[in-house]
Amino acid sequence: MSARRRGGARWAARALVALQGLCVLAPLAVVVLWSVTASWPWPALLPESWSARGIEELFGPGRDTGSVLAGSIALALACALLTTVVATLAARALSRYRFRGREAVRFAVLLPFLIPSTVFAMGVQVAFLRAGLAGTAAGVVLAHAIVALPYAALIMMDALDAVGTRLEEQARLCGAGAVRTWIHVTVPLLLPAMLSAASMAYIMSFSQYFITLLIGAGKVKTLALVMFPYLSSGDRTIASAYGVVFLGATLLVFFLFEVLLRKRTAQEIDYFEG
Amino acid sequence: MAHDALALRRARRALAPYLLLAPALVLVAVFLFGVVNGLLQGFGIMPFLGMTTFTLDYWAQVLTRPDLVESVGFSLYLALVSSLMALLGGIGLAAALVAVRQTRLAALIDVQIPLMCAHILVVLFMVSLFAGSGLVPRILSGLGLVQGPADFPSIVGAPSGWGIIAVYVWKEVPFVAFCTVTLMDHVSDRFGEAAATAGASPVRAFLSVTLPLCRGALAKAFLVVFAFAFGAYEVPFLLGPTLPKALPVLAYLEFQNPDILNRCVAMALNGVMAVVTSAAAIGYFAVLKREGRAR
Repeated sequence: MSARRRGGARWAARALVALQGLCVLAPLAVVVLWSVTASWPWPALLPESWSARGIEELFGPGRDTGSVLAGSIALALACALLTTVVATLAARALSRYRFRGREAVRFAVLLPFLIPSTVFAMGVQVAFLRAGLAGTAAGVVLAHAIVALPYAALIMMDALDAVGTRLEEQARLCGAGAVRTWIHVTVPLLLPAMLSAASMAYIMSFSQYFITLLIGAGKVKTLALVMFPYLSSGDRTIASAYGVVFLGATLLVFFLFEVLLRKRTAQEIDYFEG
Repeated sequence: MAHDALALRRARRALAPYLLLAPALVLVAVFLFGVVNGLLQGFGIMPFLGMTTFTLDYWAQVLTRPDLVESVGFSLYLALVSSLMALLGGIGLAAALVAVRQTRLAALIDVQIPLMCAHILVVLFMVSLFAGSGLVPRILSGLGLVQGPADFPSIVGAPSGWGIIAVYVWKEVPFVAFCTVTLMDHVSDRFGEAAATAGASPVRAFLSVTLPLCRGALAKAFLVVFAFAFGAYEVPFLLGPTLPKALPVLAYLEFQNPDILNRCVAMALNGVMAVVTSAAAIGYFAVLKREGRAR
Protein backbone atom coordinates (compact mmCIF):
# COMPACT_ATOMS: atom_id res chain seq x y z
CA MET A 1 0.00 0.00 0.00
CA SER A 2 2.62 2.47 1.08
CA ALA A 3 4.96 1.50 -1.75
CA ARG A 4 2.16 2.04 -4.24
CA ARG A 5 1.35 5.42 -2.77
CA ARG A 6 4.95 6.41 -2.92
CA GLY A 7 5.15 5.25 -6.52
CA GLY A 8 2.13 7.42 -7.29
CA ALA A 9 3.74 10.44 -5.71
CA ARG A 10 6.93 9.91 -7.67
CA TRP A 11 4.94 9.59 -10.89
CA ALA A 12 3.09 12.84 -10.14
CA ALA A 13 6.41 14.56 -9.42
CA ARG A 14 7.84 13.41 -12.74
CA ALA A 15 4.75 14.67 -14.55
CA LEU A 16 5.03 18.07 -12.83
CA VAL A 17 8.71 18.43 -13.70
CA ALA A 18 7.94 17.53 -17.33
CA LEU A 19 5.01 19.97 -17.44
CA GLN A 20 7.19 22.79 -16.14
CA GLY A 21 9.81 21.90 -18.75
CA LEU A 22 7.13 22.21 -21.43
CA CYS A 23 5.94 25.58 -20.06
CA VAL A 24 9.53 26.86 -20.21
CA LEU A 25 10.57 25.49 -23.57
CA ALA A 26 7.35 26.07 -25.56
CA PRO A 27 7.55 29.89 -25.62
CA LEU A 28 11.30 29.74 -26.33
CA ALA A 29 10.60 27.53 -29.34
CA VAL A 30 7.79 29.78 -30.60
CA VAL A 31 10.03 32.86 -30.40
CA VAL A 32 12.84 31.08 -32.25
CA LEU A 33 10.36 30.00 -34.94
CA TRP A 34 8.92 33.52 -35.31
CA SER A 35 12.40 35.02 -35.70
CA VAL A 36 12.93 33.11 -38.97
CA THR A 37 9.34 33.21 -40.22
CA ALA A 38 8.29 34.82 -43.49
CA SER A 39 4.61 33.97 -43.16
CA TRP A 40 2.64 32.08 -40.55
CA PRO A 41 -1.05 32.25 -41.50
CA TRP A 42 -3.81 31.55 -38.96
CA PRO A 43 -4.49 28.83 -37.76
CA ALA A 44 -1.49 26.78 -38.94
CA LEU A 45 0.57 25.34 -36.09
CA LEU A 46 3.85 25.83 -37.96
CA PRO A 47 5.08 28.70 -40.17
CA GLU A 48 4.42 28.36 -43.88
CA SER A 49 7.63 29.91 -45.20
CA TRP A 50 10.93 31.02 -43.72
CA SER A 51 13.20 34.03 -44.09
CA ALA A 52 16.28 35.62 -42.53
CA ARG A 53 14.61 39.06 -42.66
CA GLY A 54 14.57 39.49 -38.87
CA ILE A 55 18.28 38.86 -38.38
CA GLU A 56 19.12 40.90 -41.51
CA GLU A 57 17.15 43.89 -40.26
CA LEU A 58 18.91 43.72 -36.89
CA PHE A 59 22.46 43.39 -38.14
CA GLY A 60 22.11 44.85 -41.65
CA PRO A 61 23.95 47.96 -42.84
CA GLY A 62 23.11 51.11 -40.94
CA ARG A 63 21.99 49.20 -37.84
CA ASP A 64 24.03 49.27 -34.65
CA THR A 65 22.67 46.13 -32.98
CA GLY A 66 26.13 44.55 -32.95
CA SER A 67 27.74 47.39 -31.06
CA VAL A 68 24.74 47.79 -28.74
CA LEU A 69 24.98 44.08 -27.93
CA ALA A 70 28.73 44.29 -27.28
CA GLY A 71 28.14 47.36 -25.09
CA SER A 72 25.42 45.62 -23.06
CA ILE A 73 27.62 42.59 -22.48
CA ALA A 74 30.56 44.75 -21.40
CA LEU A 75 28.31 46.73 -19.05
CA ALA A 76 26.86 43.57 -17.52
CA LEU A 77 30.32 42.01 -17.09
CA ALA A 78 31.54 45.16 -15.33
CA CYS A 79 28.49 45.04 -13.07
CA ALA A 80 29.10 41.33 -12.36
CA LEU A 81 32.72 41.96 -11.39
CA LEU A 82 31.94 44.96 -9.18
CA THR A 83 28.96 43.31 -7.49
CA THR A 84 30.76 40.03 -6.82
CA VAL A 85 33.79 41.68 -5.24
CA VAL A 86 31.67 43.97 -3.08
CA ALA A 87 29.30 41.16 -2.08
CA THR A 88 32.13 38.74 -1.19
CA LEU A 89 33.83 41.27 1.08
CA ALA A 90 30.55 42.28 2.71
CA ALA A 91 29.46 38.66 3.18
CA ARG A 92 32.76 37.86 4.88
CA ALA A 93 32.22 40.70 7.34
CA LEU A 94 28.61 39.73 7.97
CA SER A 95 29.12 36.01 8.45
CA ARG A 96 32.55 35.88 10.13
CA TYR A 97 32.56 38.84 12.50
CA ARG A 98 30.40 39.95 15.40
CA PHE A 99 30.32 43.72 15.51
CA ARG A 100 28.10 46.64 16.43
CA GLY A 101 25.43 47.37 13.86
CA ARG A 102 25.75 43.98 12.16
CA GLU A 103 22.01 43.36 11.96
CA ALA A 104 21.36 46.91 10.71
CA VAL A 105 23.96 46.56 7.96
CA ARG A 106 22.57 43.17 6.96
CA PHE A 107 19.10 44.67 6.71
CA ALA A 108 20.36 47.66 4.72
CA VAL A 109 22.20 45.46 2.22
CA LEU A 110 18.99 43.49 1.61
CA LEU A 111 16.78 46.61 1.46
CA PRO A 112 16.66 46.78 -2.38
CA PHE A 113 14.59 43.58 -2.19
CA LEU A 114 11.85 45.54 -0.45
CA ILE A 115 11.94 49.04 -1.89
CA PRO A 116 11.08 48.97 -5.60
CA SER A 117 13.91 49.96 -7.91
CA THR A 118 11.52 52.38 -9.63
CA VAL A 119 11.41 54.42 -6.40
CA PHE A 120 15.21 54.38 -6.21
CA ALA A 121 15.76 55.24 -9.88
CA MET A 122 13.38 58.21 -9.97
CA GLY A 123 14.70 59.48 -6.64
CA VAL A 124 18.37 59.28 -7.51
CA GLN A 125 18.12 60.62 -11.07
CA VAL A 126 18.72 64.28 -10.21
CA ALA A 127 21.67 63.39 -7.97
CA PHE A 128 23.25 61.32 -10.75
CA LEU A 129 22.73 64.18 -13.20
CA ARG A 130 24.39 66.66 -10.85
CA ALA A 131 27.27 64.28 -10.09
CA GLY A 132 27.90 63.83 -13.81
CA LEU A 133 27.13 60.11 -13.57
CA ALA A 134 23.90 60.19 -15.58
CA GLY A 135 24.37 59.19 -19.20
CA THR A 136 27.68 57.47 -18.46
CA ALA A 137 28.43 53.76 -18.48
CA ALA A 138 30.00 54.10 -15.00
CA GLY A 139 26.78 55.56 -13.60
CA VAL A 140 24.69 52.78 -15.11
CA VAL A 141 27.06 50.07 -13.81
CA LEU A 142 26.88 51.63 -10.33
CA ALA A 143 23.06 51.73 -10.38
CA HIS A 144 22.85 48.15 -11.66
CA ALA A 145 25.30 46.93 -8.99
CA ILE A 146 23.14 48.51 -6.28
CA VAL A 147 20.09 46.42 -7.23
CA ALA A 148 22.16 43.27 -7.89
CA LEU A 149 24.00 43.47 -4.55
CA PRO A 150 21.35 41.84 -2.33
CA TYR A 151 21.15 38.75 -4.58
CA ALA A 152 24.93 38.39 -4.73
CA ALA A 153 25.32 39.07 -1.00
CA LEU A 154 22.77 36.37 -0.10
CA ILE A 155 24.56 33.83 -2.31
CA MET A 156 27.92 34.68 -0.75
CA MET A 157 26.63 34.64 2.84
CA ASP A 158 25.09 31.19 2.30
CA ALA A 159 28.32 29.96 0.73
CA LEU A 160 30.48 31.25 3.59
CA ASP A 161 28.20 29.57 6.12
CA ALA A 162 28.30 26.32 4.16
CA VAL A 163 32.09 26.36 3.75
CA GLY A 164 32.56 26.88 7.49
CA THR A 165 35.79 27.82 9.23
CA ARG A 166 37.43 24.41 9.62
CA LEU A 167 39.86 24.58 6.70
CA GLU A 168 40.67 28.22 7.41
CA GLU A 169 41.53 27.35 11.01
CA GLN A 170 43.76 24.50 9.87
CA ALA A 171 45.64 26.81 7.54
CA ARG A 172 46.08 29.34 10.34
CA LEU A 173 47.32 26.60 12.68
CA CYS A 174 49.86 25.59 10.04
CA GLY A 175 51.19 29.14 10.23
CA ALA A 176 49.58 30.85 7.24
CA GLY A 177 48.72 34.51 7.77
CA ALA A 178 45.20 35.88 7.41
CA VAL A 179 45.77 37.18 3.88
CA ARG A 180 47.46 33.99 2.69
CA THR A 181 44.71 31.87 4.18
CA TRP A 182 42.12 34.01 2.45
CA ILE A 183 43.83 33.77 -0.95
CA HIS A 184 44.87 30.11 -0.87
CA VAL A 185 42.08 28.51 1.15
CA THR A 186 38.92 30.58 1.38
CA VAL A 187 38.73 32.09 -2.09
CA PRO A 188 39.22 28.75 -3.91
CA LEU A 189 36.49 27.25 -1.72
CA LEU A 190 34.20 30.18 -2.49
CA LEU A 191 34.89 30.31 -6.21
CA PRO A 192 31.79 28.32 -7.27
CA ALA A 193 29.58 30.67 -5.24
CA MET A 194 31.42 33.71 -6.60
CA LEU A 195 30.74 32.49 -10.13
CA SER A 196 27.04 32.04 -9.41
CA ALA A 197 26.89 35.48 -7.76
CA ALA A 198 28.62 36.94 -10.82
CA SER A 199 26.25 35.21 -13.19
CA MET A 200 23.26 36.47 -11.17
CA ALA A 201 24.60 40.04 -11.28
CA TYR A 202 25.31 39.73 -15.00
CA ILE A 203 21.72 38.68 -15.64
CA MET A 204 20.33 41.46 -13.41
CA SER A 205 22.31 44.07 -15.32
CA PHE A 206 21.63 42.67 -18.77
CA SER A 207 17.87 42.46 -18.03
CA GLN A 208 17.49 45.93 -16.55
CA TYR A 209 15.24 48.36 -18.41
CA PHE A 210 13.88 51.09 -16.14
CA ILE A 211 17.11 51.94 -14.31
CA THR A 212 19.08 52.05 -17.55
CA LEU A 213 16.41 54.29 -19.08
CA LEU A 214 16.59 56.83 -16.23
CA ILE A 215 20.30 56.76 -15.38
CA GLY A 216 21.49 56.19 -18.96
CA ALA A 217 19.56 59.33 -19.97
CA GLY A 218 19.30 58.14 -23.58
CA LYS A 219 23.08 58.09 -23.99
CA VAL A 220 23.74 54.56 -22.73
CA LYS A 221 21.97 52.17 -25.09
CA THR A 222 21.52 48.55 -24.09
CA LEU A 223 19.83 45.70 -25.93
CA ALA A 224 16.98 45.75 -23.39
CA LEU A 225 16.31 49.43 -24.18
CA VAL A 226 16.48 48.93 -27.95
CA MET A 227 14.17 45.91 -28.06
CA PHE A 228 11.62 47.28 -25.57
CA PRO A 229 9.34 49.12 -28.05
CA TYR A 230 8.96 46.01 -30.23
CA LEU A 231 7.93 43.60 -27.51
CA SER A 232 4.18 43.78 -27.18
CA SER A 233 3.20 45.12 -30.58
CA GLY A 234 4.34 45.62 -34.13
CA ASP A 235 6.44 43.34 -36.27
CA ARG A 236 6.56 39.91 -34.62
CA THR A 237 9.53 38.74 -36.70
CA ILE A 238 11.72 41.70 -35.65
CA ALA A 239 10.64 41.41 -32.00
CA SER A 240 11.43 37.70 -32.00
CA ALA A 241 14.79 38.26 -33.69
CA TYR A 242 15.65 40.67 -30.85
CA GLY A 243 14.38 38.08 -28.40
CA VAL A 244 16.61 35.36 -29.84
CA VAL A 245 19.70 37.60 -29.75
CA PHE A 246 18.85 38.64 -26.17
CA LEU A 247 18.31 35.05 -25.07
CA GLY A 248 21.47 33.92 -26.88
CA ALA A 249 23.62 36.53 -25.12
CA THR A 250 22.19 35.53 -21.73
CA LEU A 251 22.64 31.79 -22.26
CA LEU A 252 26.10 32.17 -23.79
CA VAL A 253 27.51 33.97 -20.79
CA PHE A 254 25.74 31.63 -18.39
CA PHE A 255 27.31 28.58 -20.03
CA LEU A 256 30.68 30.33 -20.06
CA PHE A 257 30.41 30.71 -16.29
CA GLU A 258 29.31 27.05 -16.02
CA VAL A 259 32.33 25.87 -18.01
CA LEU A 260 34.66 27.94 -15.81
CA LEU A 261 32.99 26.40 -12.77
CA ARG A 262 33.35 22.82 -14.05
CA LYS A 263 37.01 23.39 -14.87
CA ARG A 264 37.56 24.77 -11.42
CA THR A 265 35.78 21.87 -9.68
CA ALA A 266 37.73 19.32 -11.75
CA GLN A 267 40.99 20.97 -10.73
CA GLU A 268 40.01 20.95 -7.11
CA ILE A 269 39.33 17.23 -7.14
CA ASP A 270 42.77 16.68 -8.67
CA TYR A 271 44.23 18.89 -6.01
CA PHE A 272 42.73 16.97 -3.12
CA GLU A 273 43.07 13.45 -4.48
CA GLY A 274 46.07 13.65 -6.77
CA MET B 1 55.97 44.90 23.44
CA ALA B 2 53.89 41.72 23.42
CA HIS B 3 51.08 43.67 24.97
CA ASP B 4 51.26 46.26 22.19
CA ALA B 5 51.17 43.57 19.49
CA LEU B 6 48.13 42.02 21.11
CA ALA B 7 46.37 45.38 21.34
CA LEU B 8 47.17 46.05 17.69
CA ARG B 9 45.76 42.71 16.61
CA ARG B 10 42.66 43.32 18.65
CA ALA B 11 42.22 46.75 17.07
CA ARG B 12 42.70 45.29 13.61
CA ARG B 13 40.17 42.59 14.34
CA ALA B 14 37.67 45.19 15.53
CA LEU B 15 38.23 47.33 12.46
CA ALA B 16 38.29 44.53 9.86
CA PRO B 17 34.51 44.08 9.40
CA TYR B 18 34.02 47.78 8.77
CA LEU B 19 36.79 47.83 6.17
CA LEU B 20 35.34 44.76 4.45
CA LEU B 21 31.92 46.39 4.46
CA ALA B 22 33.06 49.79 3.20
CA PRO B 23 32.41 49.20 -0.53
CA ALA B 24 28.99 47.65 0.16
CA LEU B 25 28.13 50.56 2.45
CA VAL B 26 28.92 52.99 -0.38
CA LEU B 27 26.41 51.19 -2.63
CA VAL B 28 23.85 51.03 0.18
CA ALA B 29 24.38 54.74 0.88
CA VAL B 30 23.72 55.66 -2.76
CA PHE B 31 20.57 53.53 -2.68
CA LEU B 32 19.30 55.12 0.53
CA PHE B 33 20.25 58.58 -0.70
CA GLY B 34 18.18 58.03 -3.83
CA VAL B 35 15.19 56.69 -1.96
CA VAL B 36 15.23 59.38 0.76
CA ASN B 37 15.89 62.15 -1.74
CA GLY B 38 12.94 60.98 -3.81
CA LEU B 39 10.64 60.73 -0.82
CA LEU B 40 11.66 64.23 0.33
CA GLN B 41 10.77 65.59 -3.10
CA GLY B 42 7.31 64.20 -2.41
CA PHE B 43 7.17 66.67 0.49
CA GLY B 44 8.18 69.55 -1.78
CA ILE B 45 11.84 69.58 -0.78
CA MET B 46 13.97 70.08 -3.90
CA PRO B 47 17.14 71.94 -2.84
CA PHE B 48 18.45 72.03 -6.42
CA LEU B 49 15.50 74.29 -7.28
CA GLY B 50 15.81 76.26 -4.06
CA MET B 51 12.71 74.63 -2.58
CA THR B 52 13.33 73.77 1.04
CA THR B 53 9.95 74.17 2.71
CA PHE B 54 8.23 71.03 3.92
CA THR B 55 4.69 70.72 2.60
CA LEU B 56 2.00 68.05 2.60
CA ASP B 57 0.30 69.62 -0.44
CA TYR B 58 1.54 67.02 -2.93
CA TRP B 59 0.62 64.10 -0.70
CA ALA B 60 -2.83 65.66 -0.20
CA GLN B 61 -3.13 66.11 -3.96
CA VAL B 62 -2.11 62.51 -4.60
CA LEU B 63 -4.26 60.96 -1.88
CA THR B 64 -7.38 62.75 -3.09
CA ARG B 65 -7.00 62.13 -6.81
CA PRO B 66 -9.78 59.92 -8.14
CA ASP B 67 -7.54 57.39 -9.89
CA LEU B 68 -5.30 56.66 -6.90
CA VAL B 69 -7.48 54.11 -5.14
CA GLU B 70 -7.96 52.19 -8.35
CA SER B 71 -4.26 52.26 -9.17
CA VAL B 72 -3.21 51.09 -5.71
CA GLY B 73 -5.92 48.44 -5.82
CA PHE B 74 -4.83 47.25 -9.27
CA SER B 75 -1.17 47.03 -8.25
CA LEU B 76 -2.04 45.26 -5.00
CA TYR B 77 -4.22 42.81 -6.92
CA LEU B 78 -1.48 42.11 -9.50
CA ALA B 79 1.17 41.64 -6.82
CA LEU B 80 -0.97 39.50 -4.51
CA VAL B 81 -2.34 37.19 -7.19
CA SER B 82 1.07 36.81 -8.87
CA SER B 83 2.97 36.14 -5.66
CA LEU B 84 0.37 33.72 -4.27
CA MET B 85 0.34 31.75 -7.52
CA ALA B 86 4.15 31.85 -7.64
CA LEU B 87 4.25 30.60 -4.05
CA LEU B 88 1.91 27.65 -4.68
CA GLY B 89 3.54 26.77 -8.00
CA GLY B 90 7.01 27.17 -6.52
CA ILE B 91 6.22 24.84 -3.63
CA GLY B 92 4.89 22.26 -6.07
CA LEU B 93 7.87 22.59 -8.39
CA ALA B 94 10.42 22.41 -5.57
CA ALA B 95 8.72 19.35 -4.08
CA ALA B 96 8.62 17.67 -7.50
CA LEU B 97 12.29 18.42 -8.12
CA VAL B 98 13.19 16.97 -4.72
CA ALA B 99 11.06 13.86 -5.36
CA VAL B 100 12.67 13.12 -8.74
CA ARG B 101 16.12 13.72 -7.18
CA GLN B 102 16.50 16.72 -9.48
CA THR B 103 18.76 15.81 -12.33
CA ARG B 104 20.98 18.55 -13.73
CA LEU B 105 18.94 18.81 -16.91
CA ALA B 106 15.62 19.17 -15.07
CA ALA B 107 17.05 21.84 -12.80
CA LEU B 108 18.52 23.67 -15.80
CA ILE B 109 15.33 23.73 -17.84
CA ASP B 110 12.76 24.05 -15.06
CA VAL B 111 14.54 26.59 -12.88
CA GLN B 112 17.72 28.09 -14.26
CA ILE B 113 16.52 29.09 -17.73
CA PRO B 114 13.49 31.00 -16.37
CA LEU B 115 15.74 32.66 -13.77
CA MET B 116 17.98 33.87 -16.60
CA CYS B 117 15.21 35.30 -18.76
CA ALA B 118 14.59 39.03 -18.33
CA HIS B 119 11.04 40.07 -17.48
CA ILE B 120 10.79 42.00 -20.74
CA LEU B 121 11.78 38.85 -22.64
CA VAL B 122 9.05 36.93 -20.83
CA VAL B 123 6.57 39.56 -22.05
CA LEU B 124 7.56 38.55 -25.58
CA PHE B 125 7.19 34.86 -24.63
CA MET B 126 3.67 35.33 -23.28
CA VAL B 127 2.64 37.46 -26.26
CA SER B 128 3.96 34.73 -28.58
CA LEU B 129 1.89 32.14 -26.74
CA PHE B 130 -1.32 34.01 -26.00
CA ALA B 131 -1.78 36.92 -28.43
CA GLY B 132 -4.40 36.45 -31.15
CA SER B 133 -1.77 35.06 -33.52
CA GLY B 134 -0.03 33.11 -30.76
CA LEU B 135 0.36 29.37 -30.36
CA VAL B 136 -2.37 28.75 -27.77
CA PRO B 137 -5.27 30.27 -29.78
CA ARG B 138 -4.03 28.28 -32.80
CA ILE B 139 -4.11 25.05 -30.82
CA LEU B 140 -7.55 25.91 -29.40
CA SER B 141 -8.80 26.61 -32.90
CA GLY B 142 -7.46 23.21 -33.99
CA LEU B 143 -9.59 21.74 -31.20
CA GLY B 144 -12.55 23.73 -32.44
CA LEU B 145 -12.77 25.89 -29.30
CA VAL B 146 -11.89 29.22 -30.94
CA GLN B 147 -13.17 30.48 -34.30
CA GLY B 148 -10.70 33.23 -35.24
CA PRO B 149 -7.75 35.17 -33.76
CA ALA B 150 -10.13 37.85 -32.46
CA ASP B 151 -12.11 35.33 -30.41
CA PHE B 152 -9.35 34.81 -27.88
CA PRO B 153 -9.24 37.39 -25.04
CA SER B 154 -6.52 39.97 -25.75
CA ILE B 155 -3.36 39.66 -23.66
CA VAL B 156 -2.42 43.33 -24.15
CA GLY B 157 -4.51 45.82 -22.23
CA ALA B 158 -6.87 43.33 -20.59
CA PRO B 159 -8.54 44.98 -17.56
CA SER B 160 -8.00 41.76 -15.58
CA GLY B 161 -4.25 42.05 -16.20
CA TRP B 162 -4.04 38.32 -16.85
CA GLY B 163 -1.08 38.77 -19.19
CA ILE B 164 0.90 40.61 -16.50
CA ILE B 165 0.10 37.86 -14.00
CA ALA B 166 1.11 35.20 -16.55
CA VAL B 167 4.51 36.88 -16.99
CA TYR B 168 5.13 37.07 -13.24
CA VAL B 169 3.97 33.48 -12.63
CA TRP B 170 6.18 32.12 -15.43
CA LYS B 171 9.13 34.01 -14.04
CA GLU B 172 8.61 33.66 -10.28
CA VAL B 173 7.43 30.03 -9.84
CA PRO B 174 11.01 28.94 -10.64
CA PHE B 175 12.34 31.74 -8.40
CA VAL B 176 10.37 30.47 -5.39
CA ALA B 177 11.50 26.92 -6.21
CA PHE B 178 15.11 28.13 -6.48
CA CYS B 179 14.88 29.80 -3.05
CA THR B 180 13.53 26.69 -1.34
CA VAL B 181 14.69 23.57 -3.19
CA THR B 182 18.02 23.14 -1.39
CA LEU B 183 16.46 23.52 2.05
CA MET B 184 13.54 21.28 1.09
CA ASP B 185 15.88 18.58 -0.16
CA HIS B 186 17.84 18.73 3.08
CA VAL B 187 14.73 18.70 5.29
CA SER B 188 13.00 15.86 3.44
CA ASP B 189 16.23 13.85 3.55
CA ARG B 190 16.53 14.20 7.30
CA PHE B 191 12.96 14.34 8.55
CA GLY B 192 10.84 13.16 5.64
CA GLU B 193 12.40 9.71 5.78
CA ALA B 194 11.71 9.53 9.49
CA ALA B 195 8.08 10.51 8.96
CA ALA B 196 7.75 7.91 6.18
CA THR B 197 9.25 5.25 8.40
CA ALA B 198 6.76 6.22 11.10
CA GLY B 199 4.03 5.44 8.57
CA ALA B 200 3.13 8.85 7.15
CA SER B 201 2.16 8.97 3.50
CA PRO B 202 4.50 11.06 1.29
CA VAL B 203 1.89 13.80 0.97
CA ARG B 204 1.23 13.88 4.72
CA ALA B 205 4.96 13.84 5.52
CA PHE B 206 5.42 16.75 3.12
CA LEU B 207 2.53 18.81 4.50
CA SER B 208 3.18 18.25 8.18
CA VAL B 209 6.98 18.04 8.32
CA THR B 210 8.78 19.42 5.27
CA LEU B 211 6.55 22.40 4.52
CA PRO B 212 6.49 23.88 8.06
CA LEU B 213 10.27 23.66 8.27
CA CYS B 214 10.58 25.56 4.97
CA ARG B 215 8.16 28.27 6.07
CA GLY B 216 10.83 30.91 6.66
CA ALA B 217 12.43 30.53 3.22
CA LEU B 218 9.00 30.49 1.57
CA ALA B 219 7.93 33.67 3.39
CA LYS B 220 11.09 35.45 2.27
CA ALA B 221 10.63 34.40 -1.35
CA PHE B 222 6.96 35.46 -1.23
CA LEU B 223 7.89 38.89 0.10
CA VAL B 224 10.55 39.45 -2.56
CA VAL B 225 8.13 38.47 -5.33
CA PHE B 226 5.33 40.61 -3.87
CA ALA B 227 7.50 43.72 -3.56
CA PHE B 228 8.88 43.22 -7.06
CA ALA B 229 5.51 42.69 -8.73
CA PHE B 230 4.08 45.66 -6.85
CA GLY B 231 6.84 48.08 -7.83
CA ALA B 232 8.03 47.02 -11.29
CA TYR B 233 7.34 49.22 -14.27
CA GLU B 234 8.11 47.26 -17.44
CA VAL B 235 5.50 44.51 -17.45
CA PRO B 236 2.38 46.56 -16.54
CA PHE B 237 3.54 49.29 -18.93
CA LEU B 238 3.74 46.83 -21.84
CA LEU B 239 0.71 44.67 -21.07
CA GLY B 240 -1.49 46.70 -18.73
CA PRO B 241 -4.81 48.40 -19.55
CA THR B 242 -5.07 52.16 -20.12
CA LEU B 243 -7.12 52.44 -16.94
CA PRO B 244 -6.49 51.71 -14.16
CA LYS B 245 -2.75 52.14 -14.45
CA ALA B 246 -0.42 50.20 -12.17
CA LEU B 247 1.10 52.52 -9.55
CA PRO B 248 4.68 52.53 -10.95
CA VAL B 249 3.33 53.30 -14.44
CA LEU B 250 1.27 56.19 -13.05
CA ALA B 251 4.26 57.51 -11.08
CA TYR B 252 6.58 57.46 -14.10
CA LEU B 253 3.94 59.17 -16.22
CA GLU B 254 3.82 62.03 -13.71
CA PHE B 255 7.63 61.99 -13.49
CA GLN B 256 7.92 62.56 -17.25
CA ASN B 257 5.73 65.67 -17.18
CA PRO B 258 7.82 68.58 -18.54
CA ASP B 259 6.78 70.74 -15.55
CA ILE B 260 9.48 69.87 -13.03
CA LEU B 261 7.20 70.74 -10.11
CA ASN B 262 5.13 67.74 -11.15
CA ARG B 263 7.98 65.57 -9.93
CA CYS B 264 6.73 66.20 -6.41
CA VAL B 265 3.48 64.47 -7.39
CA ALA B 266 5.40 61.53 -8.88
CA MET B 267 7.51 61.25 -5.74
CA ALA B 268 4.44 61.31 -3.50
CA LEU B 269 3.11 58.39 -5.56
CA ASN B 270 6.45 56.65 -5.04
CA GLY B 271 5.98 57.37 -1.34
CA VAL B 272 2.65 55.52 -1.43
CA MET B 273 4.48 52.62 -3.09
CA ALA B 274 7.19 52.62 -0.44
CA VAL B 275 4.55 52.68 2.33
CA VAL B 276 2.85 49.58 0.90
CA THR B 277 6.05 47.55 0.46
CA SER B 278 7.29 48.63 3.91
CA ALA B 279 4.00 47.52 5.44
CA ALA B 280 4.45 44.13 3.76
CA ALA B 281 7.99 43.93 5.13
CA ILE B 282 6.89 44.85 8.66
CA GLY B 283 4.22 42.18 8.50
CA TYR B 284 6.86 39.71 7.43
CA PHE B 285 9.19 40.57 10.31
CA ALA B 286 6.30 40.37 12.75
CA VAL B 287 5.55 36.84 11.53
CA LEU B 288 9.23 35.88 11.77
CA LYS B 289 9.47 37.21 15.32
CA ARG B 290 6.36 35.41 16.47
CA GLU B 291 7.70 32.20 14.97
CA GLY B 292 11.06 32.72 16.65
CA ARG B 293 9.33 33.04 20.01
CA ALA B 294 7.13 30.02 19.38
CA ARG B 295 10.15 27.83 18.86
